[in-house]
Amino acid sequence: MENRELWTALGMDLEKHDDFLAPVPAIFTSLFLDRPNRPKGMGYFDAVVGDVHGIRVHELYAMKQAGKKVFSTFCVYVPEEIIVATGSASIGLCAGAQFTVSSGEKVLPRNLCPLIKSTMGFKLDRICPYFQVSDWVIGETTCDGKKKAWEILNKYIPTYVMELPQKKETKDVSLWEEEVQEFASFIERETKVKLTAENLAQGIETINNKRLALQRLADLRKHTPAPIHGLDVLLINQLSFFDDPVRFAAQVNALCDELDQRVKEGIGVAPANAPRILVTGTPQPLPAWKLHALIEQAGAVVVGEETCTGERYYKDVTEPADDVGNMLANIAKRPLKVNCACFTPNQGRLEDIAYMAENLKADAVIDFSLQFCQPYGVESYFVGKEMEKKQIPYLRLESDFSEEDQGQLLTRIEALLEMIRG
Amino acid sequence: MQAGLDLGSVNTKLVVLEDGKRVYQQIIPSRFDSVQAGIALLKTYVDKEGEKPEKLVVTGYGRVNFAEGRVITEISCQARGCHHYFSDKEYILDLGGQDAKVIRKNGNGKVVQFIMNDKCAAGTGRFLDVILKGLNLTAEEFSSAAEASPMPINSMCTVFAESEVITMLAKGVPKPEVIAGLFKSTAKRLANFVESVGHPETLIFTGGGAHYDLLTRFLEKELKVNLVIPPEPELTAALGAALLA
Repeated sequence: MENRELWTALGMDLEKHDDFLAPVPAIFTSLFLDRPNRPKGMGYFDAVVGDVHGIRVHELYAMKQAGKKVFSTFCVYVPEEIIVATGSASIGLCAGAQFTVSSGEKVLPRNLCPLIKSTMGFKLDRICPYFQVSDWVIGETTCDGKKKAWEILNKYIPTYVMELPQKKETKDVSLWEEEVQEFASFIERETKVKLTAENLAQGIETINNKRLALQRLADLRKHTPAPIHGLDVLLINQLSFFDDPVRFAAQVNALCDELDQRVKEGIGVAPANAPRILVTGTPQPLPAWKLHALIEQAGAVVVGEETCTGERYYKDVTEPADDVGNMLANIAKRPLKVNCACFTPNQGRLEDIAYMAENLKADAVIDFSLQFCQPYGVESYFVGKEMEKKQIPYLRLESDFSEEDQGQLLTRIEALLEMIRG
Repeated sequence: MQAGLDLGSVNTKLVVLEDGKRVYQQIIPSRFDSVQAGIALLKTYVDKEGEKPEKLVVTGYGRVNFAEGRVITEISCQARGCHHYFSDKEYILDLGGQDAKVIRKNGNGKVVQFIMNDKCAAGTGRFLDVILKGLNLTAEEFSSAAEASPMPINSMCTVFAESEVITMLAKGVPKPEVIAGLFKSTAKRLANFVESVGHPETLIFTGGGAHYDLLTRFLEKELKVNLVIPPEPELTAALGAALLA
């Protein structure tokens, strides 16, 4: 089946979809392909983006034809292991494009997080084949904006909402365990596959392997000179939500083998004295590349992301267990180690940032918040205080997915780099 | 000869130093093309002096598109320029044509922290310009604002503030009260901006906005600080650029 046939079969708005994709090749070429000294191992990920609405969508479509289901997620708390155990697919969704924000505003307030508006717009515009191929969206209650937006999205696509607690006390942990158990039953019902010790162990192993590969890649960034651009790693992190987990992990590991060699030979993508930046804050969902691109355009290198399109997604793995009950309990335990600003208090995140800054030898921290993101926007206060206490130079930035403020952002980033260089 | 060229959104400024002494300075309006204004300024200088400055640093909003010189952001240049006058002071408030900045510098004139507002006209020089132009003031009206009781302006958005002012005038509120209110509300906004970075005892106030006496007085009251203003506050970034050249 040709791509266009597939898109028609998925009920997409082809004309709008053409408008949406038209500028992507030129942007991707200038931001990624034209940069010198990229690892060869990026070839696979470039190819995935090159046909981002093709190959993988065909695979998912074929899975559906074979009776499997596709579940779309937006959050690192959703237990993919359970979905993958049943042989169905768990994918992330595009949520980082300005193109769809105005459509999202038809049903959502303007003063709302652009990620939520972009997501909603993708569904209303019918230009995301991943959305179109999905049977269910799995939402969660990580912020009020998302929580209420799911109610509207549910009118367009069936949306299941997991209730994430806001504290990490004993009663919160048991609430979340119950949520995970209910989710497991829901997935069994929907996929008509019973969870067993065998398939769930397999699901856990598959997702653990993906997370371990991403950990390995993240750890390689601590070397000087940096063996890979932050922008390339961001792309990989973004694709980690979409791709087939087994193939993806193999490709990440192959890239890491190449980077191991680079580290041994002292080869880097930036001079050894290039300022090293740790990014923290809200996620950069596909195709939001602006922040990393500007930082690296200014001559620095991004060495880590304390974000959901970074460390928070892969820093913890699920402990194995012998039976389904204990496996589900362990699956529930993993996400509660993740320090999202939706929790109160959230001291652990400050420790995570300080640890990453030290381990990655970061010269400065950029605290990035999407406009109107209340949890991260408010928590910026504590991030700033912590960085002052630790005497780590930092910069707070707020933006959305539009292109208009690039000059303003660049001025701030350049001033930060001048500060570091003294 | 070392020169600093500040390509601002409203005005373009050139400062030239020889052996650390200022030997030339000039300000011209940017007229929506600060790069062209910068080229014109340099040409005027070369025509007069017969040669180009040996070292040039360009800064300001148009810096990235300027073909000559080393590029340094206006944040570092502003800190350096203010350091020239006030080496023992830490905090700077810069009220420019299109943005406002709070900069904290160290004992060497290097930036240690900064924040910028350049996304919204409210609380920038542009905000004051738009409203003041709409008022068609006489010199007496402007000077009597100092004694008038300020009429609060509540709108955060320049466009809405403008219509709020029109409504006030229609209701017969005297212009001096409106002007006093305008400066007071701007001072409040700037005070919050400064306090989000820290609580200085002395604040260096620069940029074109520092020329408004009434704004300075309200700012001192709001922040309970001692304000110091460099001579020619609109030139400190260009001076800093020249010093860094």
